[in-house]
Amino acid sequence: MSAYTTLTAAGYRAAVRDKVTLFFTFAFPLIFLVVFGLIYSDQDVSETGRPYISYIAPGVMSWGVANAAVFAIAFTLMQWRRDDLLRLIRLTPTPVTSVLASRYVLALAIGLVQAVFFVAVSLLPLFGLSLDAQWPLTLPVLLAGITAFLAIGVIIGSRADSPESVAAMANCLMVPMAFLSGSFLPIDMMPSWLQTVAKVLPLYYFNDAASATLTGDGGLADIGVDCAAMAAFAVVFGVIGLKVFRWSNRT
Amino acid sequence: MTAAVHHQPVPPAEGDAAIHVREVRKSYGAHRAVDGVSLDVRHGEFFGLLGPNGAGKTTLVEIMEGLREADSGEVTVLGQSPWPRNTALLPRMGVQTQSSAFFVRQTAREHLVTVAALYRAGAAAADRSLETVGLGPQRDTLVENLSGGQRQRLAIASALVHGPELIFLDEPTAALDPQARRDLWEVLRTLKGEGRTIVYTTHHLDEAEALCDRVAILMAGRVRALDSPHELVSATGAPSRLMLPAGRLSPQKAAEIPGVDRASVQGGSLVLETAATGKVLQALDALTGLDGVMTRTATLEDVYLELTGAPAPDGTSAHHHPTEQKA
Repeated sequence: MSAYTTLTAAGYRAAVRDKVTLFFTFAFPLIFLVVFGLIYSDQDVSETGRPYISYIAPGVMSWGVANAAVFAIAFTLMQWRRDDLLRLIRLTPTPVTSVLASRYVLALAIGLVQAVFFVAVSLLPLFGLSLDAQWPLTLPVLLAGITAFLAIGVIIGSRADSPESVAAMANCLMVPMAFLSGSFLPIDMMPSWLQTVAKVLPLYYFNDAASATLTGDGGLADIGVDCAAMAAFAVVFGVIGLKVFRWSNRT
Repeated sequence: MTAAVHHQPVPPAEGDAAIHVREVRKSYGAHRAVDGVSLDVRHGEFFGLLGPNGAGKTTLVEIMEGLREADSGEVTVLGQSPWPRNTALLPRMGVQTQSSAFFVRQTAREHLVTVAALYRAGAAAADRSLETVGLGPQRDTLVENLSGGQRQRLAIASALVHGPELIFLDEPTAALDPQARRDLWEVLRTLKGEGRTIVYTTHHLDEAEALCDRVAILMAGRVRALDSPHELVSATGAPSRLMLPAGRLSPQKAAEIPGVDRASVQGGSLVLETAATGKVLQALDALTGLDGVMTRTATLEDVYLELTGAPAPDGTSAHHHPTEQKA
């Protein structure tokens, strides 16, 4: 077996054996869906006349997927460095790209399963989401979004040296971003200057694209622009991530 | 093929050296961790690296492993430069990692199979390596549930899994019980018997004496002594110790025996230090008889303590003096 395959298998086993983390990875976005879904059940947003669920479902999904991507890679990198596992890898002939590729594939798989699960629940009559015809385009949107947030996770995981600091840094970034990007509240309800601020946040584009593909709130051109923006974020954060990457805590 | 930063005339590398180190220096700020070290480790040699904490052992080994770049000097490992990361050289080396460096939530075997794959070796290599370190019964135990000694053996197995020519071990017996320690000695002797080169960092001087062909004693970033344990012990002229039951002879009286350098009571025994064991034994025989008299010749530990307890020849003293343990 190749290093890549074996690393991916080890990562898969590590993920499925951590039942608690696995449960909350899938349950966490659903909790938000339930809370917001029940509060705003059968209500429309007065600014646009669209039902709340059309805002909340894509927003909470993209936030949940982004959150999981950031946390998973940040924790893994911090832990591998702290336990000297990165040093072990550094001493083998395996290229770093194989290691990154295996983590990337794992993150994509987790994000995909999260999204499928979440959308399936949202389609239940209780929540009443109706899918737009261009829903298959959610796949490239997930790819772009997970890539961008994985790159952010690499930066956090390279700077943080303890689980506590990973949680602090990631939450500090992801929770405000969720509100400012319209994941939990329709962005159309926010003052216009905040809507402008939102446009510098990668999650805004993830929300916007997911909302277009799942509920039809935007066409192909919008989705293309959103994906391009996420790709640009991925490149910028990816470059920073490689710059701050450390093999060891000992210098 | 050298890591030389500023060139200075150095003799050509010996053909039989597995590791060739010339005038290697490495500083962290003002602290000179490695301060002009030159040594060769021969092919098939069991080479010990000793020295107090902070002597520069770890830095030197990490430079050999290619984890750090030397500030200056020349380093060749198996004929190649280890820096920058040399993926042609890495599969020929095995490094014992920290006992924490395991892939999480994997069994001992799954971890080793993963490490083997990183070296492009198959699962059979992982099974062999598990048996070598005696972890066969724990193969399906999660790494998180292994005991300290088992974790340590798994870390050693990680270094052996791909059958490397050159093996770096760092305090490999630290967490082992006496039986496991002796078992590991046998494993190490077998590895040496197969022609592998072993670089062994340790604080256990009895272990270095029992296993190593040659040892280097490092102090304050410099090589203070480098030879076989036997030669080091012979050359130092460290005293032998004669121990007889306390009370049989007063320390004052014992100190008057010709050839006795020092006499003191330690743990219920009267200990005489001497460089002339035969002469003192004869005198003791005449005085009290030799019943219950034990002799202890100098060991590598005496050499080590003498070297690490004394200031360096150029007047700079070591950063960390071990506690004075002489009587």
